[in-house]
Amino acid sequence: MKFSAALLPLLAAPLAAASEHTSNWAVLVSTSRFWFNYRHLANVLSLYRTVKRLGIPDSQIILMLPDDMACNPRNAFPGTVYNNADRALDLYGDNIEVDYRGYEVTVENFIRLMTDRVGEDMPRSKRLMTDERSNILVYMTGHGGNEFLKFQDAEEISAFDLADAFGQMWEKKRYHEMLFMIDTCQANTMYSKFYSPNILATGSSEIDQSSYSHHADNDVGVAVIDRYTYYNLEFLETQVQDPTSKLTMGDLFDSYDEEKIHSRPGIRYDLFGGDQRARERRVMDFFGNVQNVEVGNEQGNETQWVQPGGPSAAKASRRHSENSQPEAGHVVEKAKPAQSLRREGAMKVDEEQNWTKQVYGAAALVGCAGIWLAGSWMESM
Amino acid sequence: MAAESEQTFSETSPALQNAVKSSNQPPPETKESLWLRRLSILSFWAVVVFLGLPIWLKTTAIYRAELPLQEMTEWAEGKVCKPVFPLRIAVEAPDVSADAHHLLRTTQHALDDINDFSAHHLRLMLADPPLTANASQQVVSDGTRIQSDDEDVALLIRLIPVETGTTPRSHLQPFSPTLDVYYSPNQIPSQSSTGSTLATFLAQELHSLFAEEQAQLAHLLSTISGAHAAKVKALSPETSAQLERQSTRALKYAPTYHLTFSLFSPSYAPSAWDIETALRTYISPLLESFSGISNFTVDTQVQLYATFAPSVRQPEYDEETKAWTLRKEDLSGFVNAAEWPLSPSIGKGPTVNFIVYVPDHTQSPLLVNENAGNSWLIPQWGGVHILNLQSESDTPSALTTEMLAPAMHTFSNQLISLFGLPQSPASLPLRISTLERVRAASLIFSASSTLGALAQVYKKLPSIPVPDNVAQSTHRTIVHLQQACDFLRDGRFPSALEHARAAEVEAEKAFFERSMVGQVYFPDEHKVAVYLPLLGPVAVPLVMAALKELKSILKRG
Repeated sequence: MKFSAALLPLLAAPLAAASEHTSNWAVLVSTSRFWFNYRHLANVLSLYRTVKRLGIPDSQIILMLPDDMACNPRNAFPGTVYNNADRALDLYGDNIEVDYRGYEVTVENFIRLMTDRVGEDMPRSKRLMTDERSNILVYMTGHGGNEFLKFQDAEEISAFDLADAFGQMWEKKRYHEMLFMIDTCQANTMYSKFYSPNILATGSSEIDQSSYSHHADNDVGVAVIDRYTYYNLEFLETQVQDPTSKLTMGDLFDSYDEEKIHSRPGIRYDLFGGDQRARERRVMDFFGNVQNVEVGNEQGNETQWVQPGGPSAAKASRRHSENSQPEAGHVVEKAKPAQSLRREGAMKVDEEQNWTKQVYGAAALVGCAGIWLAGSWMESM
Repeated sequence: MAAESEQTFSETSPALQNAVKSSNQPPPETKESLWLRRLSILSFWAVVVFLGLPIWLKTTAIYRAELPLQEMTEWAEGKVCKPVFPLRIAVEAPDVSADAHHLLRTTQHALDDINDFSAHHLRLMLADPPLTANASQQVVSDGTRIQSDDEDVALLIRLIPVETGTTPRSHLQPFSPTLDVYYSPNQIPSQSSTGSTLATFLAQELHSLFAEEQAQLAHLLSTISGAHAAKVKALSPETSAQLERQSTRALKYAPTYHLTFSLFSPSYAPSAWDIETALRTYISPLLESFSGISNFTVDTQVQLYATFAPSVRQPEYDEETKAWTLRKEDLSGFVNAAEWPLSPSIGKGPTVNFIVYVPDHTQSPLLVNENAGNSWLIPQWGGVHILNLQSESDTPSALTTEMLAPAMHTFSNQLISLFGLPQSPASLPLRISTLERVRAASLIFSASSTLGALAQVYKKLPSIPVPDNVAQSTHRTIVHLQQACDFLRDGRFPSALEHARAAEVEAEKAFFERSMVGQVYFPDEHKVAVYLPLLGPVAVPLVMAALKELKSILKRG
């Protein structure tokens, strides 16, 4: 190759190639424990299966499951987790790699994972080894409220903590682009504090809105999936058939139907450089692992560049093609509202931000202090 | 106290009921008890203010070591170090005469004219041939001479006069950084002439030898912040796209890489391989030549009864070529990542996988359909080689070094690609030294940017504790960066790389310090809720007593 010919001084143009990513990572987090939160684990496992099907290898998926529904004694179908009452697809399957389990799922561990401030003995499979060429999908589900998400009934992560963690990641060039997805009550408040560029955020419900479950399986005995996740998955499973899909994030966002989701999903474009740019991103840029693969003959021998991604993708894809049809049929059936409207466990925590409430609160506090003072005064008389 | 109790007794007397209303006041306190009370209130306050408050402040304060924020930001913005690459090129002439000096000057002039990338500069020096060096030559050390075996010499040009063949012509030695240039004696420029064919030829030759390196460095500088942009020459879109692809394929820099060589077989044989000898013969020399840049750890494994993923299309028999074939689009599914134990998380660095697959003798030879090849490379992951054994009968139970040779050749080629070695020139030491320079520059940039990131985090997140060792690491990073930059300017690239590596390690250590995880955010309401029940009961009597005492002082005063 003759470089000198190509080295003609040209106008300094911004490098178009700089907008490429070379690897995809997924951080899938459920934050709630206990049997009646079955659906949160099912949400996460459904998404896990989808990204695996679309080609993200297990080593690049961080799965956080705070409880083990498959082995719960109350599970009538031991060893399985289903996300649908037809029980066509066992999400737990035979090939699940859970990275953080049980009490390991804490706010601290989550922040450590994102910022990679982990001990030296942390195995590589539990670390987010991303660089400035990695796209990250962060999906969280659990019980939340205004600007917080509860972890395991014990602690909570606030929107500020999340924003700071992502801010540090951006400073250290730990991601190229990020899709933040959250399915919880008042979910849209969780991404309201973000300030780092190149984050596309979407949530299931606005402030003061609950996020609802889709339907329950009477034999399992609890709700099996949340609405927002359900309709995201419906799009991903029926529209995005294989890694060559050209569908965009815009198509995904357009598929959100407030009537079906029963809450108003939010999308935040401003950090991503406007809705135009964000909507043009392919769904596969976040949910799959498609890279610009080079196929060529190097040095005259039979070297070829092929894409990693692996058999798990192919395997999952096969499984998918077996299941997608019945599933699609099921979706139509389930869209009938009467049965699916089960408002179970939708925790609503109001933490008003407006001034009147704050004034009330302050007045109450001052009143208490006043009564106390008065009491002490009387006593000392 | 005694006076008070008497008073109480007198109150009970009904005869004095009226008088009580006016005289029911405690008797004036004695000065002593007054002061005693004041002192005790004061002492309580003193304990609170001088002991309680400092302890509370001290225990709730977040320790943040001082960091040289200004300096860190300057490094990140590229204000401190502008990397330059002055390459020393030794020229070994058969006789050191005025003519040789003149040739050098003319060539240098021609070189400077062609060069459009000021940061990358080739400096020609007349070398003393190490073997023929005699006393008179060693005395001369005027700065334009150099020992040709010095490790900081990027390239040695040997000028060899010949009588036959086309001249000038050149030959690059593949295993040493030496360019032999053959010329006919009449091509040496005379003192008076300003140009000559030999000088132009040399300049052109050098320019094209280092063209790819220049392109790589220019590409690197252009991807870094705007501070350098001004003096960087623009690359054509095709070139930068190609460099981009090359960097996509190459592994990210790590101080240590872990290489895993695996033998997979679908049956019980071969169950042994002479991998140790094979590695020593074919891979170790390569790893040794890379050892200036990264360290390597190696492990090997043999896995029997390794089956393909069930979903993958099985190999098909092609009657025409009498071979089993895999389609190119199925190659990505060839490695059964779900069941084959790869990426073992051994060692510190990222794992690079090299897989030898020995097909069953009923399925041999196994080839790629499109080009009848038997190996492929997976970017940033590793390589696969299908080892088709010649024998018609059963698969042998052990593989000898000779049998492994083709696989090892493939792997060393793939390793070179994965390691980001440039494709030209043909001399391996020259390519490695190019990689050294590129790595040194990119490590300086990445360590600087980590410093900047740390400074930003420090400024933006006041709730994050910063222990002393972060400050120490930061200082060490800056020292190493400065040294790397100085060595780069002096053209001492191996030392520059060494310091750049140290700087990178220290910078990463500083940024990823484990204890630098901030407190979880609490809204102010939460703080009130925590402190009020704790401090309220203590504070109210204290404040009330102080107020009461102040009031009585005011009344008296």
